[in-house]
Amino acid sequence: MRTFVKYAALTLFAIPWVLVPVWLVVVNSFKPAGEAAELGLGLPRTWAIAENYATVLDRGGYVAGLFNSLKVTVPIVLAVVFLGAAAAWAFGRSRSRWLQAAYFVTGLSILLPPSIIPTVYLLRALSLDGGTLGYVLTMTGCRLGIVIFLATGFVRAFPRDLEDAAAIDGASRRQIFVRILLPLLRPVLFVGGVILVINVWNDFFFALFLLQGSSNATLPLALFQFASGTLQSLNWNLVFAHVLLTTLPLVAVYVVAQKRVLAGLTEGALKG
Amino acid sequence: MRNNRAAPPWAHRWALPAMVLVTVFFVAPFLLNVRFAFSSWTSFRAEITWNGLENFGTLIDQDLLANAVTVTVLYAVLCMAIQNTVSLSLALALQRTSRINTIFRSAFFLPTLISPLAAGYIWRGLLAPDGAVNSFLGIEWAWLGEPSTALLVVAFIDAWKWSGLITLVYIAGLNSIPRSLLESATVDGAGPWTRFRRVVFPMLAPALTFNVAVTLVGALSAYDVIAATTGGGPGDHTRALNVVMRQQWGQGFFGSASALGFTVTLLVIATAVPLVWWLRRREVAG
Repeated sequence: MRTFVKYAALTLFAIPWVLVPVWLVVVNSFKPAGEAAELGLGLPRTWAIAENYATVLDRGGYVAGLFNSLKVTVPIVLAVVFLGAAAAWAFGRSRSRWLQAAYFVTGLSILLPPSIIPTVYLLRALSLDGGTLGYVLTMTGCRLGIVIFLATGFVRAFPRDLEDAAAIDGASRRQIFVRILLPLLRPVLFVGGVILVINVWNDFFFALFLLQGSSNATLPLALFQFASGTLQSLNWNLVFAHVLLTTLPLVAVYVVAQKRVLAGLTEGALKG
Repeated sequence: MRNNRAAPPWAHRWALPAMVLVTVFFVAPFLLNVRFAFSSWTSFRAEITWNGLENFGTLIDQDLLANAVTVTVLYAVLCMAIQNTVSLSLALALQRTSRINTIFRSAFFLPTLISPLAAGYIWRGLLAPDGAVNSFLGIEWAWLGEPSTALLVVAFIDAWKWSGLITLVYIAGLNSIPRSLLESATVDGAGPWTRFRRVVFPMLAPALTFNVAVTLVGALSAYDVIAATTGGGPGDHTRALNVVMRQQWGQGFFGSASALGFTVTLLVIATAVPLVWWLRRREVAG
């Protein structure tokens, strides 16, 4: 009985919390503009799926946005995960004063907000402003902290005997890193990677300041430009179609990997 | 045992690439910001010169700073409170790993995948005067247009977006509590409420520390949801520091914009340092 009440309550909560928002987006993205302006939850009286999505693909900068989002997310995630793991190894295995200071600074970078305006200034000085490369480097520098922090705890908790034995057997540092350390760090790097993908894919703040021109726009930036372009009253059908298409890639990956994502986040988040 | 003091010769080399990126793209801008916040720098006069507290003075004279600080702090507190209440409740309900709980966890995680910007548009649609929420409640209320509710609603949207992730951190925290502790409390005659207050809640301290700090600090940098919903309005009721910063930047007042960014940093430090210290102390005291 108590179990029944609990799940009834959870279901009642899930309806407005998850179901209605998703339904609103989906069903209104199928309606013509006038009907979507009512923002109702009923089925479309007239269906306008093809028109809406064609318009978003055509005028919403979706295809370019998708390409740009992939072009920044993949290198940022790879760089943060691998460079972060390498640094965590050094921090975990050495107590030199320099490395301890560096580790402390890295910790601060998790807590303190990034200074976006000096970043624009700096990228301009380096002739990296407005483009993808400057954005990738900045995001990497600002997001390394969390992965380094999580992974260093893991390295410290793990005895170094295995590495020493491999070194005595003549394995190079790189071999030890690839064969021993990366497999060891896999759970924590997976958690870091998941949080990073969500964070980078959805980033709007950095993109707004650092990416110039619609040719560089990532999906959130394309969505914002598209929604702002319709002036005072939003064309809800088109905005929701854009929202759906922008969110879809991440949801698709999540549906495939959800078991590992949820297990990883619940089991790996606090360890180490 | 082993002498760890001396760094293995390889260690510096392996940390170097990451440290170069952190130094150039996080530390250097941070230090530059301290200079720019106290400098005259505009699109009309590109030369950057020290001007002391002038940027802050101008922002105060324009009635921008005090309001932005108030809005930002209120936003952060509301966001933190909503997020942690919802997430802790969900975590307590979904703590055990079973098939049905996994389905619910999965569903409640969905908003986390949505960008804060998109979350803003979705709730702007739901909460429109003629939208679904009002027609369900049978009222007509401009949730985002009325000064009394705009900030609360915007903070709610931000909390909604992140609650799924925070729930999982709480579940991890709950699952790390030794079962024997709860069993012995039950044997000693502790009811569910006493068990929660005396055992679960104190043992949850690491997760609570983490979540309260993360949600507060994160919400101090609020921008995306506001940009998608109110743009700072009605009036200046949701004009958080980063919103004013973007406006100043857009108008070419780069020094003032830096000063606002610096204010966010100060708020984060002022919040995080005592909070982490206090929560850690309580954690030890148990």
